[in-house]
Amino acid sequence: MPPRKTSRPPPYAARNQSSLPIPPALKNLLRRDKVRLLALGILGFLTILWLLGRIGGRGGRSTPAIAKVAIGTGPPVVIVTVLDPKANPAWIEKIKKNREDYAKRHGYLTFFPNNTQYPLRNSPPSWSKVPAIRHAMTLHPGSTFFWYLDSTALIMNPSINLQTQLLNAARLEKLMIINEPVVPPDSVIKTFGNLKGNRIDFVVTQDKEGLTPTSFIIRNGEWAKYFLDAWFDPIYRSYNFQKAETHALEHIVQWHGTILAKLALVPQNMLNSYASGPANPKHGKYKEGDLVANFPGCDKDKRDCADEQQPFFDILDGKNKGQD
Amino acid sequence: MSSRSPSPRAGGWSSPGLNTPYDSGGRSSPYANGGTHNVTWASAQARSAEVKGYTAFNPRNQGFFGRHFRRISTSLPFSYAEKEKLGRGRSQGNKAMQMLNRIGWNLWRLRRSVGLVLLIVLSWILFYVTPFHRMYRRSPWFGGGSKYVVILAANQGGGVMEWKGPREWAIERDSVKNKKKYTQKWGYDLEIVDMSTKKRYAHEWRESWEKVDTIRNAMRKYPHAEWFWWLDTNTFIMEPTYSLQKHIFKRLNDVSYRDINVYNPLNITHPLTDEYLDPESRSPVGDGRVESINMLVPQDCGGFNLGSFLVRRSVWTDRLLDIWWDPVGYEQKHMEWEHKEQDALEYMYQNQPWIRPHLAFLHQRNINSFPPGACGEKGDDPQIHYKEKDRDFLVNMAGCEWGRDCWAEMYNYRQLSNRLNRNPWEKFKDWISDSVKSMKESKKKENKDEKAKKGNH
Repeated sequence: MPPRKTSRPPPYAARNQSSLPIPPALKNLLRRDKVRLLALGILGFLTILWLLGRIGGRGGRSTPAIAKVAIGTGPPVVIVTVLDPKANPAWIEKIKKNREDYAKRHGYLTFFPNNTQYPLRNSPPSWSKVPAIRHAMTLHPGSTFFWYLDSTALIMNPSINLQTQLLNAARLEKLMIINEPVVPPDSVIKTFGNLKGNRIDFVVTQDKEGLTPTSFIIRNGEWAKYFLDAWFDPIYRSYNFQKAETHALEHIVQWHGTILAKLALVPQNMLNSYASGPANPKHGKYKEGDLVANFPGCDKDKRDCADEQQPFFDILDGKNKGQD
Repeated sequence: MSSRSPSPRAGGWSSPGLNTPYDSGGRSSPYANGGTHNVTWASAQARSAEVKGYTAFNPRNQGFFGRHFRRISTSLPFSYAEKEKLGRGRSQGNKAMQMLNRIGWNLWRLRRSVGLVLLIVLSWILFYVTPFHRMYRRSPWFGGGSKYVVILAANQGGGVMEWKGPREWAIERDSVKNKKKYTQKWGYDLEIVDMSTKKRYAHEWRESWEKVDTIRNAMRKYPHAEWFWWLDTNTFIMEPTYSLQKHIFKRLNDVSYRDINVYNPLNITHPLTDEYLDPESRSPVGDGRVESINMLVPQDCGGFNLGSFLVRRSVWTDRLLDIWWDPVGYEQKHMEWEHKEQDALEYMYQNQPWIRPHLAFLHQRNINSFPPGACGEKGDDPQIHYKEKDRDFLVNMAGCEWGRDCWAEMYNYRQLSNRLNRNPWEKFKDWISDSVKSMKESKKKENKDEKAKKGNH
């Protein structure tokens, strides 16, 4: 006789408790159909891949990229002055020293190319300032601002810091002359009125006759390349503008909105006071404390810059001695 | 439940013949009998109907189906009861019926998977029959069609300068229809612009530079579009099944070339070597990344061809469109620049270094194949001329208005495109008609041959 079946059934064996708590519904699903689960899993995986591919976009093969230096990592301002190698070497040294002293004081850089080193194709040598700035940008891609200052000008007040006292967005907005005819007295093209200081890429002044590309500041970037290349187009150089690059600049500023929209006109004494010559009647004449004293045209005809600038060099020397 | 006779809700069961008033609050004590109310069945029913608004009693088997349902259902061929009686799972009836029966039964058994397949097929059909597929192709997330705008120049040279004849109208109609169909298929926007010589331009320097204004207007009109494809009137999209995305933009790196030395009919010196330029401007391929391409231009035997080109919305493009036309340039060069804006672009490409790193070239046959009449002095050029075998995307009958027959070319290419893009059914029909035709012809030939033989004898 087999033993009697016990009347007390053993309790159900407890399921192996795994450390990961899975909801019963999911567990059911897992147990039910392995094949279906596998198919679902593959489908889900493919979907995710597809989505990722869509978001990632086209990768494409990449050619060895050109190392790009982020703008703003270098010295903030580079001062560019194009020099005429045929001029009096003693005077050139003085001009260089004038810029270098200022640059040293504020941590800026200087760049002194010759006006013969660029391919001008028979156009006047004053055009060389345009490729010179582009050259400076190539050499110092990390710098933010490039200040072109003609060799006829002297920096008279080295204590002025360009960034805080001119190029700062809020300050620039305050200084900008809006709704002003680009070419005085009655050009129909006027400077824009609703520009933001941090969007300005080109700071320039106006004398009695028009824009003055003897002292201006350009912000490094794609726009600067566009602007300089357009300005340097041989079509303008061969056109025989009466004042060469000055009139070409006025021309492109008036005809092309993408240039005018980046331009800020500031009072002349902020950047380019005239010690002699056709200064802007409102604020163009040099007075003590101005950043720059310019002697426009002193390198032309029979004038002698060294002579004209001598009193100002004396003032500067006196100041320096006073400081020391 | 329904088989029970309806009853008023309150007061329990009312029974005909009993005098008990049903509205007596449930009391059924015998002393209430013989009260003042003398309630009959009929009066109670009437009262109840008055209160409830409908008659309480619904007689059964009143309607047609009520009366005849059973008869109808038993007379149907697939009555379950009948089957139970006759079939009993044994073979009976003819074989075809059996087969059908089995198929039906299997389908029923597999109803879930069959249903799924049917659903998929149905939704696929619905997707393509309804405008849903257009919505899909157009949406920026899936198809991305709304990122592309086709600008079609119509009425070129018309207007005040010359009147259009019926041929010109026909050409324009064909061209417009072709682009409309294409853009609708892929969810692109089509902007047809009237390029007739307007007074505004006729006496001004800007003639033929309206292209620039037009592109700018289109950019303003479609603020979410990214690429703008300019097309002249004398163009025909031969393969409407190619989407711009698949044909060009997904493989932009392979179909375009940045270094003009790959194909350089103008002999432009490239790359620039001036020391003062930045490395990107001096590099033959710009920065080499697809994202930096802002303009795609094909080149024909004479240099850039602006009959079919693409520009991308970008700051760079803004600048290019702005500087493209300049009065000083025009004044000096308008005698020399025969192709106006095209020559101006070539000139700028050569002389303004900022342009090169962002302009890429397309192999011409990707987007702008020529018919043999254009650039054809030296015979067929595999770089330039349309090849039926390769199914080129677009034909540009450039220069057909000077001494060639635009309408004939347009007509021939349209017919060719239709023939190449027949669907299988059309191909089948054409095959039948063609074979019948050829059979007839061969018979005629045979007859002729026989006749000729007879004549000889």
